[in-house]
Amino acid sequence: MAATVATSEVHSGTETPAVELIGVTKAFAHFVAVDDLHLAIGENRFFALLGPSGCGKTTTLRMVGGFEDQTSGVIKLHGEDVTGLRPYRRPVNTVFQSYALFPHLTIFENVAFGLRRQKVDSGEVNRRVNDMLELVQLTGMTRRKPRQLSGGQQQRVALARALINHPRVLLLDEPLGALDLKLRKEMQIELKRIQSEVGITFVHVTHDQEEAMTMADTIAVMNSGRIERLGSPTDIYEDPRSTFVAGFLGASNLLEGVALDGAGTARLPDGTVVHLPAGAVSAGEGSVRFGVRPEKVRLYEPSDPALPGNSVVGTVKDASFIGVSTQFLVTTSFGVDLVAVEQNIAPNRFRPGDRVAVGWDPEHSFVVHGD
Amino acid sequence: MATDVTAVRGLGFVARLRARYGRRAVPYLLLVPGGAWLLFFYVIPLAQLAGVSLQEGSFETGYEMTWRWSNYSNALSEFSEQFIRSVVYAGLATLAALIIAYPLAYFIAFRGGRYKNLLLVLILMPFLTPFLLRTLAWKVILADSGWVVETMKTIGLMPSNGRLLATGWAVVAGITYNFLAFMTLPIYVSLEKVDRSLIEAANDLYASTATAFRKVTFPLSLPGVVAGTLLTFIPAAGDYVNAQLLGNPQQLMVGNVIDSRFLRVLDYPTAAALSFTLMVAILLLIIPYVRASGTEDLVA
Amino acid sequence: MATTTAPTATPPVEAGNGGQGGLVRFVRRHVLTAYTIGAFLYLFLPVFIVILFSFNDNQGRFNFTWQRFTLKHWGNAFGIPNLFDSLVTSFQIALISAAIATTLGTLIALALVRYHFRGRATTNLLLFLPMATPEVVLGSSLLAFFLTLQVARGFWTIVVAHIMFNISYVVVTVKARLTGFDRHLEEAAMDLYATEWTTFRKVTLPMIMPGVFAAFLLGFALSFDDFIITNFNSGQTVTFPLYIWGAARIGVPPQVNVFGTAIFVITVSIMFLNVYVQRRRA
Repeated sequence: MAATVATSEVHSGTETPAVELIGVTKAFAHFVAVDDLHLAIGENRFFALLGPSGCGKTTTLRMVGGFEDQTSGVIKLHGEDVTGLRPYRRPVNTVFQSYALFPHLTIFENVAFGLRRQKVDSGEVNRRVNDMLELVQLTGMTRRKPRQLSGGQQQRVALARALINHPRVLLLDEPLGALDLKLRKEMQIELKRIQSEVGITFVHVTHDQEEAMTMADTIAVMNSGRIERLGSPTDIYEDPRSTFVAGFLGASNLLEGVALDGAGTARLPDGTVVHLPAGAVSAGEGSVRFGVRPEKVRLYEPSDPALPGNSVVGTVKDASFIGVSTQFLVTTSFGVDLVAVEQNIAPNRFRPGDRVAVGWDPEHSFVVHGD
Repeated sequence: MATDVTAVRGLGFVARLRARYGRRAVPYLLLVPGGAWLLFFYVIPLAQLAGVSLQEGSFETGYEMTWRWSNYSNALSEFSEQFIRSVVYAGLATLAALIIAYPLAYFIAFRGGRYKNLLLVLILMPFLTPFLLRTLAWKVILADSGWVVETMKTIGLMPSNGRLLATGWAVVAGITYNFLAFMTLPIYVSLEKVDRSLIEAANDLYASTATAFRKVTFPLSLPGVVAGTLLTFIPAAGDYVNAQLLGNPQQLMVGNVIDSRFLRVLDYPTAAALSFTLMVAILLLIIPYVRASGTEDLVA
Repeated sequence: MATTTAPTATPPVEAGNGGQGGLVRFVRRHVLTAYTIGAFLYLFLPVFIVILFSFNDNQGRFNFTWQRFTLKHWGNAFGIPNLFDSLVTSFQIALISAAIATTLGTLIALALVRYHFRGRATTNLLLFLPMATPEVVLGSSLLAFFLTLQVARGFWTIVVAHIMFNISYVVVTVKARLTGFDRHLEEAAMDLYATEWTTFRKVTLPMIMPGVFAAFLLGFALSFDDFIITNFNSGQTVTFPLYIWGAARIGVPPQVNVFGTAIFVITVSIMFLNVYVQRRRA
């Protein structure tokens, strides 16, 4: 069982995190949704909570927003303990997955809702609503009702409605899930732009790893109520550290071998010796599992003199042309299928049935633990 | 360890109380007014009625609680005919209503198109005339010299000295009519929810229209059928207005008996025993029915 | 890649193909329509009779055989004081009991749909029971109750009884409306600084209002038209249905038909008006 990952990414000791969770647990009668979570999120970050369905990411977000009470632990916003405070007393706003626009109110009144509750005077409400609608590119829609807007437009209204209140943290619960692919990609860039323009912390919950990597500065990968890995997209991708993260974020080739003393190498079942990154394996560790990303491996003739540091011999099982690249499936003699993705710069030399060597730079391997 | 809610800054005492108990107390608070009303005016009277059913005495001498279970056996033996008649009439009426209502509901659900709501409204409209007036109207329709009876005699469905009024048929006809809306609407709701693509799938898999109906549509409409039959049978079994206005004094239903025992003869214990027996009989009939059709969550 | 010929299935030929099938198909398509028209005629026949006989120049006390067309009853509609009083009484009772029942029932519906609490299933069952109890039992048990408490039966006991049986119907109607309601709407409101009470006022209530209103109308109609329960608990008070019942033995005056028709026309108009307004709003 992976130990709780040290999950503070506050850069200097004196900076107060925008959001801080200390030992937060949410337990229901039959299962634990969030298990002793420790997390600190800095100011002006685009932070993503990534994980499969049921991992606890939405529950965590809801606890920060005040819609669920934690079973134990403390939640702080900008250093202030908000435990027990109702949502309307917290300085955060939420963009819901279903947008939750009030169907009986116009767009204008929807966006103005929070301001009106704060007793802002009409003149200023007018000004701020119009400014905000301009920010999300929805000027002129003030009189319409939500059902008259498209999905993408509704999404932007939901965003405007939340941002207009100048929350210090914005919570987003899989807001792009209902949009079609093209619109989703556009909105991802839009949200990123707005976040850097507005300068507040966004906490974005999603199950789409591509989305998280596109938008976030920092990603926390959650699994079964715990954070398995926290870091920048690049860090997490190149060094997943656990089998789960390796499989969830992008695709991986995972191999198991026996660690050989001293030299930082491992022996595969077919006898091949592979080199692992310096310091990744400690002496006497026994069996070790490691991986390499499909785009980091290439196919070679088994007798090619330019073979890189690590290579495994196998037979090509499948070669799929995907436009930008060709995806190869190579079966090793010990039964594991390796995936290689090569950019289509030169015409493809290998066909199913060919004997090839799958080779990669040892520095591109990463060791994983757990399941 | 639990967080110390009371230590949160900025909350007053009431708000802190609310924070600790508030959210869980809300549903109970909402239930109290209505629940209390039902408790007071439904549950308690029923319980009391149960008590009365075991009492003995008369209006002049006063009533005394003697655990007289014989009230029940007496009532059952004395009025068994009326009981059975009620069940039979209500059953026949329910069946008739089902037969009449189902095609009607089917038409609206599947052929109604844009006019669905209008047609539903049309079904409800007749029931905006007072119940008693509608029933009295049947007295006119089924009159001896009326068009209906004349036609039936001409066709030969009825002997020349027969009549409809003051017979069981009139009563059943009245009950069927009066509760038709209760049967039609639930069936409609069920049918309307049937996913059309299921029927198309059945057709795609070589089922004819009739077979698709039998194997797909009808089973899916069963919850509505069950709801409709319950909503019809239960009030029908206890009805006595139709019997009074359209039937004859020799053929009373249980409802008539209860009414007269309560309001005229003032024999409360017997009337109470009859009421309870009726209620238990209905429950005994419908619980296995609901179980068998697997639609317990209708109630939820 | 080897090619194989997959065996083709032959679907059974549906009856009705071909020339003679044309007639069959015509009948099949239209038989349901014809039936429906017949069913509607059946439904409206008594209504038609009620309306017709308000114009009947009846001989004697009874109004069962058609004599001649006349408008005099319409002119003399208010001629029978007891009749009109009973209408007013019915109206008042319906208004009060529907209003109270709607309020109580809506609260219960909110509790049942929104919250998970212990005893939820039991409450559902308890609410279903009054609808499953025959009116004779409801009426007689309440009568016995009032007798024990030595409460005089009259206007207010009727109101109490009507509220009691209306609550269940209100709950069912409002529940149906509430279950389609997006829970997140209320969370969104609270997220935007509305307290629970403000959320209820500004978001929940406006959204369930159509359902609540429908429940109110249902309650009103059920109360106005109720006979059996009212009969048991009315004492000397006379509601419109009670008036008709009492008059049925000695002869129902045509003015009753007049008012019955009037009620019908008014309620139908209200319904169509409501539909029209909804259409316009959308």
